[in-house]
Amino acid sequence: MLRPFALHRPGTAEEACGLLARLGDDAVPYAGGTELLLLMKLGLLRPRHLIDVKRVAGFDAITDGARLTLGAAVTHRAVERSPLVGRHCALLAAVARHVANVRVRNVGTVGGNLAFADPHSDLATLFLTLDATVELVSGRGRRELPLTDFVRGAWETARAPDELLASVRLTPWPSGTAATYVKFGVHERPTLGVALALCRAAAGARVGEARLAIGCVDARPARVPAAEARLTGVAVAELEDVAGAVAEAAAAAVDPADDLHGSADYKRAMVAVFVRRALRIAAARARGDVAPAARFPHAVVA
Amino acid sequence: MIDAGARVPIRLVVNGRARELAVATHALLLDVLRDDLDLKGAKRSCDSQVCGACTVLVDGLAVSACTYLAVEADGCAVLTVEGLAEGDTLHPIQRAFVDAGAVQCGFCTAGMLLTARALLDEHAAPTREQVLHYLRGSLCRCTGYRKIVEAIVAAGGGDR
Amino acid sequence: MSARPLRVVGRPLARIDAIEKVTGRARYVTDLVLPGMAHARVLRSPYAHARLARVETGRARALPGVVAVLAGADLTWCDPYFGPAFRDRPILAIDVARHEGEPVAAVAAVDEATAAAALELIDVDYEPLAAALTLEDALAPGAPLVHTREPLAGHFADLSSLRPRPGTNVCHQFHFARGDAATALASADLVVGDTFRFPAVQHYAMEPHAAVAAWDETGGLTVWASTQNPYSVRVELAKMFDVPLARIRIVVPHLGGGFGSKTYAKLEPLAAALAHAAGRPVRLAASAAEAFQTVRRCSARVTMRVGFGGDGTLAAVHCDAQYDVGAYADIGPRVVQKATYTATGPYRVPHVDLGGAAVYTNTTPGGAFRGFGVPQLAWALESLFDVAADRLGRDPIDLRRHNLLGHGEAFAPGDTPIDGKFEESLGRAAEAIGWTLAGAADRGRGLATMLKASIGPSVSEAIVRLHADGSVSVLASAVEMGQGTRTVLAQIAAEVLAVALARVVVVTPDTAITPYDQTTSSSRSTTMTGRAVQAAAEDVREQLLRVGSEALGLPASDLALEDGAIVTATRRLAYPEVLARRFGMAGGELIGRGVVAPGRSAAPLGGSTPFWEMAVGAAEVSVDEETGAVSVERYVSVADVGRAVNPLLLEGQDEGGVVQGLGHTLFEEMAYADGHLLNGTLLLYRVPRADDVPALECRFVENADGAGPFGAKGAGEGSLVPVSPAVANALARLTGVRLRDLPLTPERVWRALRARERRAPGAI
Repeated sequence: MLRPFALHRPGTAEEACGLLARLGDDAVPYAGGTELLLLMKLGLLRPRHLIDVKRVAGFDAITDGARLTLGAAVTHRAVERSPLVGRHCALLAAVARHVANVRVRNVGTVGGNLAFADPHSDLATLFLTLDATVELVSGRGRRELPLTDFVRGAWETARAPDELLASVRLTPWPSGTAATYVKFGVHERPTLGVALALCRAAAGARVGEARLAIGCVDARPARVPAAEARLTGVAVAELEDVAGAVAEAAAAAVDPADDLHGSADYKRAMVAVFVRRALRIAAARARGDVAPAARFPHAVVA
Repeated sequence: MIDAGARVPIRLVVNGRARELAVATHALLLDVLRDDLDLKGAKRSCDSQVCGACTVLVDGLAVSACTYLAVEADGCAVLTVEGLAEGDTLHPIQRAFVDAGAVQCGFCTAGMLLTARALLDEHAAPTREQVLHYLRGSLCRCTGYRKIVEAIVAAGGGDR
Repeated sequence: MSARPLRVVGRPLARIDAIEKVTGRARYVTDLVLPGMAHARVLRSPYAHARLARVETGRARALPGVVAVLAGADLTWCDPYFGPAFRDRPILAIDVARHEGEPVAAVAAVDEATAAAALELIDVDYEPLAAALTLEDALAPGAPLVHTREPLAGHFADLSSLRPRPGTNVCHQFHFARGDAATALASADLVVGDTFRFPAVQHYAMEPHAAVAAWDETGGLTVWASTQNPYSVRVELAKMFDVPLARIRIVVPHLGGGFGSKTYAKLEPLAAALAHAAGRPVRLAASAAEAFQTVRRCSARVTMRVGFGGDGTLAAVHCDAQYDVGAYADIGPRVVQKATYTATGPYRVPHVDLGGAAVYTNTTPGGAFRGFGVPQLAWALESLFDVAADRLGRDPIDLRRHNLLGHGEAFAPGDTPIDGKFEESLGRAAEAIGWTLAGAADRGRGLATMLKASIGPSVSEAIVRLHADGSVSVLASAVEMGQGTRTVLAQIAAEVLAVALARVVVVTPDTAITPYDQTTSSSRSTTMTGRAVQAAAEDVREQLLRVGSEALGLPASDLALEDGAIVTATRRLAYPEVLARRFGMAGGELIGRGVVAPGRSAAPLGGSTPFWEMAVGAAEVSVDEETGAVSVERYVSVADVGRAVNPLLLEGQDEGGVVQGLGHTLFEEMAYADGHLLNGTLLLYRVPRADDVPALECRFVENADGAGPFGAKGAGEGSLVPVSPAVANALARLTGVRLRDLPLTPERVWRALRARERRAPGAI
């Protein structure tokens, strides 16, 4: 049961931003509502105005070009099924397919997910390996922020109250990149998520650049440069040899807290386990192995 | 803009029948279906989009009616469990549930049936894997799921 | 009784309420709309233990649209306490709140939004008190006392000998002994023992508790309630509101699941009190989160020591079980008593010393939950059996078989002898899991048994009405909560009266119409209510045969019933004709009555069990050692049911029981921090999903040796109880690690595996 609110349905970003600026703290942007309406039902948020961004021109668009752009109101389902996403980043489509459950995917949006900044976001974790930037618009203009600067902490972003998240832009990996996303956990939200991309000059024998992001175990997802460094220049055939060191570096980089998802040292240990597993999977893909990836209980492998 | 507390006229087709309603902006689809349209089949259980007991189809897509504004259904076709059968003829998925013994207390049943319907509309002969993927968000505490999965696979004409 | 083969009983027929459930027409309490119905919301204590210094409801009362506001202090016009064992639970907290979530005040208003807004206008000053939050807290010397009032006994005969320990949080103790366990253990060739823990878990019935209450112009009360025992609710309300039983009507439409969470009064007294104050019907529906604050399973700490002879013969069992019954006793004392009595499982043990205690804590009240205290004890005993087998160098199934009670053997003096051939269940489970076959190196197999007594004494009454057109009504108060009891009762009546199942209507339980039935729990409905229905149908049959005998000029023994008619080799008299003869006109009906009331006995609990529920579970598991995640790959359940009245429904029940058992085995645990429940929603309370289900087989042993209709016995709890020890035994056989605390979360298993590594790297 919700408390009453006024509903606004701007048709343009300017209109939407104008409303945000005018209404201030009394207003929240609203797209799928899968997180927002839940907080409102619990009484934790009591906005007097909802600004529905689903009709804002361009917000439901997925476009390619120099970068792959997902409008804020694009649903997880749309990402899962988009031919453009399939072409530029098939892994993203696969990850979107496993967000929450089918009903949340049908209604929940990419923008809503990023703006909510739940530490357990699969998309945010994966996006960190895709040079993601978010586009924020307001009456004061437009700015683009790297995702890592946008997500500041648990449920905390750099979005100013009068700003609207308009889109997220991704730079697809070069072809020849072998990548995987693995999440593990028993509860509704995963205990940890590992995104790993091994980029290399088209089917070369060595890893050119590695991107590793760990999500869920800390207040926000983060890349692990120390682990990535250990993968740079490694021959695909020798990735197994550095797996231990990479996993250790990743585990050392996180600072989890004890909670119902697990104790801190369990989470740290699982980071190591799943980084190793992700590396094995990515290595197999780099070698051109077409066999399906290994399966692990309570884990989803994309 | 629609004022808080104001009633918004919405037009939707519910189970094939055109309906015109006036709903508050903050009204949830589940309550409008149950209280204004007397369609009691969809149930409120977890009230947080996890269990699926409130599942209805909006333009063919499964949504959690407990966390979906009624105004969002304006201009849409909504399918509830009451709309699955054609007169006295059960939909194959309903028949499959009855025959397989996939119904016990019945509180999850409407949500299960509509989720199955959405799945079958997408994959006419789903594999077990596909069924389990769709049922990730549909909970049952009575049956242990085995007969539910069996029924959905059977309704797809498969035994996979 | 002729040896005619059964036509309806024993067949896997579709349940009679299937169509209304798949078409969304089945009605549950929250689907009901009464004219003028008001909606209630409850203000609940945020503290585990606090004095209510001030409860100010004036502003809430003044809010337009509010029709009633109640706080504990307002309940001077009734007896505000209820509870089946102790009447220790107030409708609304009076002076003190004893658990987080306890109702402190309630509002009824024209709609839910107004009721919710009114709640925010109620001011409560809480003075937090020291709380006893765990068994250890509650049992420590000088522990804060959850209750300080002198307890009043509730309404059950077998609990008239409640034994609280004054000045402590122990509200009941039960002790059962035989022989000299201390000496037997001291001299046993092998003693294995350990302490096991079973978590607090919540039933999570898909439908949370709900009630709609309405007082009428004659001072009578009607409550539409999601309850498993309308007659228990009726007697509580009668006492509390000083209304004769005949003026209270409890109606039970479909229940969206129960599992014990809806036994005994829960929300009904508050709904009735609000309706009284409002002067109009009031609907009170709990949210799923509120259900977590209303009732749960009693968690337990169980220390058991089991002594064996060198040849594997059980010599003695010593059990010290402490059950956390939460802030209000509910039926906790009986849970402790009944379960402790059968702590020894289906085995022969000459010397026993079994003690159980029900302990108050400042947490959600613990009550009945499928298994009724037995899962907690079987977790310990069946784990220890495997430990012993290992030490004795014996096969675990062999060791169990060696000690199984035999058919006809005494369980305890005065109680019903063992009514099943238990070795058959054991053998079939072993075979189905492939016990003697070589298994994959990465899989382990384990097995466990269980034994449970059903409630005794108890009463079930039924009426069967044969109408002028040959259709039949069955009036019985067994509640349909998914288990299929309405279908089973219809099958029994259809069988006895030789009519098609479609011609039998089972009337909705309604204490104004359907006669007394003690409770829908304890796996008893098929056996007890079923027998009452069978007797009532046989009464109608006798009447039919008497009329038929006279009409046809033949002795009744020459007549049979077939297809809605009395038949001989040459004649056929349809029931409408029989009735027309009986009444000399069109009209009238034959009414049959059945009463099943075995009464008190010399059995240790005051009543003999009507049947023994026995089952075996066998699991095959694998484990991801790097994460500790246990996967149950295959599971077999075998239940000794006497006769499966409806094998399709029974199989569904047991499949559900196994999966619910997987819940507390692998995932479920209510987590508290300082008395605050951290995971009272599905976002962090993990119940089994479809993809958790193993390859599953549920089988039945049917020797027609039960006391129920056609040799049936009860079932539905047996499938759940063995799951946790079977899985833990399988895990131990696979990895060498023995866990004693449930659930077997990945982290717990992971820690145990690493401890094993540290102790003996590479060894098992």
